Amino acid sequence: MQRKLILYALLLMGIFLAAPSWAQEEVTSGSYRYKDRESSTGEYDKYEVRPGRGTPFLQWNTIPKDVIGYSQGNVNVNRPGNISFKADAHAGIANYRFKRCGDCHVEEAKNNRHVTRADIACRQCHGGEPISGINYYYSQLNPIRRHAYVCAKCHQGASASFARYLVHEPNPFVKATLTDFPKFYYSAWAMLLLVIVTLGFFLSHTGIWVIRDLFTRKPERGVDDED
Amino acid sequence: MRIRRFTPIQKTFHLLLIITFMTQAVTGMARMYESTLFGKALGAPFGGYVNCLAIHKVVGVAMLLLFVCHIIYAVILVLAGKVQSHDSLLPKLRDIKEFFGHLRWMMGGKLPRFERWAYWEKFDYWAVFWGMVLLGRTGLLLFDPVQTARYMDGSELNIALWMHRLEAGLAMGYIFLVHFSVIVLRKHSFPMDQAMWGKDADYKTVKLERPEWIERLENTGKLDGLIVKDSSPVLTTFSYLIGLGGVILGVYLVIGGLMNAHLIPW
Repeated sequence: MQRKLILYALLLMGIFLAAPSWAQEEVTSGSYRYKDRESSTGEYDKYEVRPGRGTPFLQWNTIPKDVIGYSQGNVNVNRPGNISFKADAHAGIANYRFKRCGDCHVEEAKNNRHVTRADIACRQCHGGEPISGINYYYSQLNPIRRHAYVCAKCHQGASASFARYLVHEPNPFVKATLTDFPKFYYSAWAMLLLVIVTLGFFLSHTGIWVIRDLFTRKPERGVDDED
Repeated sequence: MRIRRFTPIQKTFHLLLIITFMTQAVTGMARMYESTLFGKALGAPFGGYVNCLAIHKVVGVAMLLLFVCHIIYAVILVLAGKVQSHDSLLPKLRDIKEFFGHLRWMMGGKLPRFERWAYWEKFDYWAVFWGMVLLGRTGLLLFDPVQTARYMDGSELNIALWMHRLEAGLAMGYIFLVHFSVIVLRKHSFPMDQAMWGKDADYKTVKLERPEWIERLENTGKLDGLIVKDSSPVLTTFSYLIGLGGVILGVYLVIGGLMNAHLIPW
């Protein structure tokens, strides 16, 4: 009887032991995964960016219509001549091979914390030669695949929305930001004004107070400490 | 003779707030000034740039938990009916009057008769409250940017970081310059206001500054319950060490921060 019980228990356990292998089943999808095909366009399904974490109520990894915004070049101007759409953005530049990125992209080398703080080189995101414009269709920085080809190399699970973080962050206090990223401009200025007004007021208030206090009589201490 | 202004629970909250706030200030400044020697020195005890962020996140969450605990504590106090109208920190019309009265006194007028909490103390409290909400919110957004970007546009993180920085600058500037001046530099409280730890507040100073409170206590017969004797020299020394240690660290951060501000890539 006992042997039979053990046998049934083992059989029952066997069913559940199979559970981990169920989890290894391929996710069904209309398209192939990018790892299956080298020549992928880089357009992924949701599950490929963050498997099984989507929500039916929020389509979180679609690229918003205004995705081509700041730092992507002004796509509405001179599209045929726009360098950000070129396969080789630096074609025709004299003595190009003797130049360094920072020689010309002075501002871009400074305005991003990936370079100044994390020691990331330009090419780790922008790719090797020939460096294409970021709006060039096959560029790894094209917004349709930027999150997976570039961001996700370090930020595991990066989504298209995540890739909209401005790595080349504009100075929030200059006027150009007002047109490129007004929300950034207004919130930073509002906060800065709050800081200046609060600190300015209370510093002068406390300063005058400390000085005024010098002309008051301090109550004697320690006289009736014993009681 | 001393008078007790804060309960042991409030003192503990304040001590924990000091420890967490200082940790956040140092690790945050270490990240911000990472490219300067000042920032490297700040970050070194915590294990450098990367570890500073880990500590900053953990302590930040701890701070938010403390904040939640404080709100629960405050709600319980209010529901239990232990906070009378004059003990409440809610701003009142009288605070505005006292504020202008205080300004007049600075120009040579008469000192207003403060109650238990003067307007600047109420402002201190609500400044921290508001700072917690703003710093905590932006901090939580930045805690895991990849997760945050699932619920909002990634470019909002640029905004969140700058809000976090500016609000942190305001908080540090306010605490290290304004709050510390009030509790340390003023003649009445020099070398340090003892109301928080150790010996509690000096009775004579309180009677001079807050006569309305003392009169209310006398009228309701609660004064004797709040009068305490001087504590031991050990506890006094301990309170000076914590308090003035924090002041020195804060002033160091302000001076170092201002001196090195032009050296850092923002």
